[in-house]
Amino acid sequence: MSADTQFHIHHDAPEVVGRRERLGVRLLIVADGAFVFGMIFSYFYLRNLNANGGWLPKGAHYLSAGTGWLVVAPLIIAALSHRMAEKNRDNFNVLSVVTLVSLLAGTYYQWHQLANMPFIVHDTGIFEGSYASMWLLIAGANMFHFLLGSFIALGLVVRARRVQIDPILQTWRLRTAGSWFTWIAISGIACALTTTFVR
Amino acid sequence: MTTLDHPTSTRPIPNPEKSLITKLHMGTGMVVGAIFAFGTYFWLRSGQDMTVAHNVNKVLLISMFMWSLGFLIGIGAFIGPFRWLIGKDLTAEEQLYLAGDGQGVSRYFRYCTDHKVVGIQYLVGVMAMLGVGGTLAMMIRTNLISPGSKFVTPVIYNSLVGLHGITMIVAMIVVATGPFGNFILPIMIGARDMAFPRLNALSWWVLFTAIPVLCSAWFLGGIPTGWTAYAPLSVQAGPGMNAFVATIIIFAVSTAVAGANITATVVTMRAKGMKWNRVPIFVIGATISVALAIPAFPTFMVSMIMTALDRTANTTYFDAQFGGSGWLYAHLFWIMGHPEVYVILLPGVAALMEIVPVFVRKPLFSYNAAIMGFAGIAGLSVLVWAHHMYMSGWLPMLNGPFMITTEMISIPTGLIFLVILGTLWRGKPWMKLPMLGVYAFLWNMLIGGVTGVYLSDVPADNYLHGSMYVTAHFHYTLMGAALTGALAGLAYWFPKMTGRMLHERAGYISFWFVQIGFQVLFLGMFIAGAEGQPRRVADFSAMYKYSNMISTMGAYTIGIGMIVMLWAVIHSWRKGAIAPINPWGAKTLEWTVPFPVPLENFDELPVITSDPYGYGRSK
Ligand code: HEM
Ligand SMILES: [Cu+2]
Repeated sequence: MSADTQFHIHHDAPEVVGRRERLGVRLLIVADGAFVFGMIFSYFYLRNLNANGGWLPKGAHYLSAGTGWLVVAPLIIAALSHRMAEKNRDNFNVLSVVTLVSLLAGTYYQWHQLANMPFIVHDTGIFEGSYASMWLLIAGANMFHFLLGSFIALGLVVRARRVQIDPILQTWRLRTAGSWFTWIAISGIACALTTTFVR
Repeated sequence: MTTLDHPTSTRPIPNPEKSLITKLHMGTGMVVGAIFAFGTYFWLRSGQDMTVAHNVNKVLLISMFMWSLGFLIGIGAFIGPFRWLIGKDLTAEEQLYLAGDGQGVSRYFRYCTDHKVVGIQYLVGVMAMLGVGGTLAMMIRTNLISPGSKFVTPVIYNSLVGLHGITMIVAMIVVATGPFGNFILPIMIGARDMAFPRLNALSWWVLFTAIPVLCSAWFLGGIPTGWTAYAPLSVQAGPGMNAFVATIIIFAVSTAVAGANITATVVTMRAKGMKWNRVPIFVIGATISVALAIPAFPTFMVSMIMTALDRTANTTYFDAQFGGSGWLYAHLFWIMGHPEVYVILLPGVAALMEIVPVFVRKPLFSYNAAIMGFAGIAGLSVLVWAHHMYMSGWLPMLNGPFMITTEMISIPTGLIFLVILGTLWRGKPWMKLPMLGVYAFLWNMLIGGVTGVYLSDVPADNYLHGSMYVTAHFHYTLMGAALTGALAGLAYWFPKMTGRMLHERAGYISFWFVQIGFQVLFLGMFIAGAEGQPRRVADFSAMYKYSNMISTMGAYTIGIGMIVMLWAVIHSWRKGAIAPINPWGAKTLEWTVPFPVPLENFDELPVITSDPYGYGRSK
């Protein structure tokens, strides 16, 4: 008798478990969505209020819209390649690696942007204005998405090679992971759109 | 032997010897957490000029997060995700080990996935937080016993108020959904466990790590801002403020996880035949509450991350000189804050609604109205936040619309009243301890609600805002309604959670002390507030002398009552009368399982054929 049958713990049918997990992840996405909403709200709030002309003071630095979209590109590629991997399970091994690599590249690029922010006043160390402050927050949240996304993508790559998973459950899990990848792409697009409105 | 001991089942006790999970527990968590925290602290400190506030804040904040992270690593919270990552999922034996089968009391100190263990952990944790918060309240009232009492310095007084406020708010958010939402709710819907048992353990232990962080504020100069932590005051505040910021960020993670878990459990794990109109009302109320918290809390987290960055990294979210705004903070805070007060209220009320039908032996009057009431409150609660900002000068032209949405909340609140009154109507209540809470709730919530309507009236609020009147209002709702509901729930479910009856006589004594003391305290405070005494101020003019003296006497009376309650709980838990399976003759599923509740609750999953309130109907 193997340990697994000896220590029986009740398990539901794979599709029941799969659907449940997806609901859980979607609820967490709602929480994350509220966070992103809070940031975008703050961005436009401070921009429109422009207290003491301090949103983007004269001579302050800002990043062109293009840089925001450059960060989104890997998120979109990752979401698409995961979608394809879900549909096209024969090529899963290749496509899941594409997802992982694009997320890792995005992580690196986002980190690079953060490490080279141009907007801190040299002698005081203070951020030039509230635009600069908001940019930091949004980039940081993106970074969080990249890191969590990379973790999941790495797990999917590793597991596809090592673990025999019930095929029905696996289908559900890929959809669940897909919910997350799609969400971080959408959130990235929303943030890039937001930071397009500099002034 | 205490009643917490689980008799060994016939199942072999799992012992996955080589697995790391068997070696980890709360102690290893504390050790790793402490190493992480102090290691970070001394390491970061060495390179910094610690006379600069920003650097102090940075070092402290990072150390606090590292404590939390280290504790979670040390207790084994990340073993599951890590094993998933490397493709070596936990074996069935390991999972069963994590569920704590046959481990006796020690499983309460482990990363245990059994929802009943998590429920007890929450119960003990909440009681500890209420105890700490209550002690702080006694100190506040002692200082206010007479003008110029100088029991504590003004600086300490401010800290007491802030710490009392935030400790109690955190405790109240989990007071019902923590213990009962975890222990009772899954059994009530006929489930074997929660949807995500490991996330369940995570939600508790994450919350646990926030407690020492919050307490560290006492030693770091306290929280001078009150529980609302308005910026830019909070940005300028001393090192104790870091504890506030870290606590909220950690706590927000815990609520998101708990909220997703409870919601998914109720949506996907109800017993066969338990259609939505057959779900016990407590389950509905608790679920709406946690589901409302999921989108509400993250905005608070945003505001706290901004506060943290302003305090450590020279950002300018709240600094008007550089384009920031204090209004932004107020918005983010209250977009969370007003839904949050209902997150607190709903589970307590729902527990009372569960109790009434049982003790008058009548079906719940208009189950649908109750659900509409809950849903209406939840829906409107996200549209009223600016009633906290009438006097802030932000867009006065919106005061009118926010006044209307706020007053509209009285309509669904009224429905809730009608449901309870309708159930009581012409009933013959069996006056046991849980039932007393129902009457106390009706009285207290009436006062809390009506004074809320006064506050929502802009001209009246012009005068009352910032006064003790506001403090009295929200204590009537938070303590008089929500805490009363939770305590009634404790009296009601105590037999199922501990296997013993709660000491009835001590419960009565406590109830009357608390409720009478409560009326004295806060009616006195309404008077002082209506006469103009400002809140959060250490001293007051002689004209408020009598009302404050009365309030303090009331507070001490509550204190006595709460000590009696604590005694009742501890005594009954250890030596109380053994409870029968269904002491109240209730019809919901939790009363069909024996004590100790078996690991997977039901041998055979129940099938539901009717609503849970079929009292007095022929079957
Ligand atoms: C009919 C229902 C209610 C109405 C119309 C109402 C209205 C209000 C208004 C207008 C204020 C702002 C007062 C001011 O700062 O000047 C307020 C404050 C407050 N209310 Fe209510 N309220 C209601 C129910 C509740 C409930 C059920 C709770 C909690 C369970 C609650 C908790 C609070 C708290 C905590 C504050 C003060 C926050 C602070 O400034 O520290 N209220 N209420
Ligand atoms: Cu409010």
